[in-house]
Amino acid sequence: MKISELVEKTGLKTINDYKDREVESVYISDMVSDIITSAKRNSILITLQTHKSLIAAANLVAAAMIVIVKGRRPNDDVVELATKTGIGLFTSDLDTWTFAKKLTKLGLE
Amino acid sequence: MSDCRHEWAMCNLRSGYLVVEGCWECGGRSSFFSAEPVPPIDEYREGRHFWMYRGSFQTVKFDLKCHACGTIVNLDDVNGLMLSDCTDHDCQVGALVNQQGADTLVYVALCADSTHAQGKCVSSAGIEALSQYFNKNIEALGRKVLVVPCKLCNSIDKCRGTVIADVGLTDIQ
Repeated sequence: MKISELVEKTGLKTINDYKDREVESVYISDMVSDIITSAKRNSILITLQTHKSLIAAANLVAAAMIVIVKGRRPNDDVVELATKTGIGLFTSDLDTWTFAKKLTKLGLE
Repeated sequence: MSDCRHEWAMCNLRSGYLVVEGCWECGGRSSFFSAEPVPPIDEYREGRHFWMYRGSFQTVKFDLKCHACGTIVNLDDVNGLMLSDCTDHDCQVGALVNQQGADTLVYVALCADSTHAQGKCVSSAGIEALSQYFNKNIEALGRKVLVVPCKLCNSIDKCRGTVIADVGLTDIQ
């Protein structure tokens, strides 16, 4: 599924300009040291984190998009770095579990 | 030099804390990995240094293993990675950042001793393996990362960048 399709189906709010890639898996974590060792290429990262180190880690694992839950919004420098890497940044008012359930209903695991 | 086109994967993953210390006398910074349930906070003298606890954060250490030839690159000397924002032309890292196109980001591999007083830093084998491993992930996207050792920084303690670290989650102070 393309990011744009997923955004439409889940009601995500788009934060930056992104590269519209296929997403293949989902990973949930609020720790960058965990993301760097466990997240997969072309994954959706779901997190509460809004720190710049999140983008630095997501870039190394070639994550496709990041969903920041509970309506949190990152600072401009974080958005700028995400845009530079082509990683899509999105926000959802839902909590992690509720948003993750939406993804499983779409067939993503 | 190996002819193998390495297929790196992480191995020997171990969780713990990166403990950061500062020398009260010379202002240097040192760090070490601790697998203890609670990271040590002792102060102690070591040669001309008097190390004091500065903080700790949860981290994961790993090595890289090539699935093609079985080579394992030990990354014990890597204590962290920092995405560099340096633009200082007088710094080798800053110069590298300035030379790269928009599709390349420079990451600095951080060793334990910011002073490099003993001439040690992250091994060249480690730098090469890390670079190959991470680029495997993103090269299909037309992007690149350049991994460099922290000894190239003019002053790693004053260098601008984003350290990939879970700072603040488990600080004892």
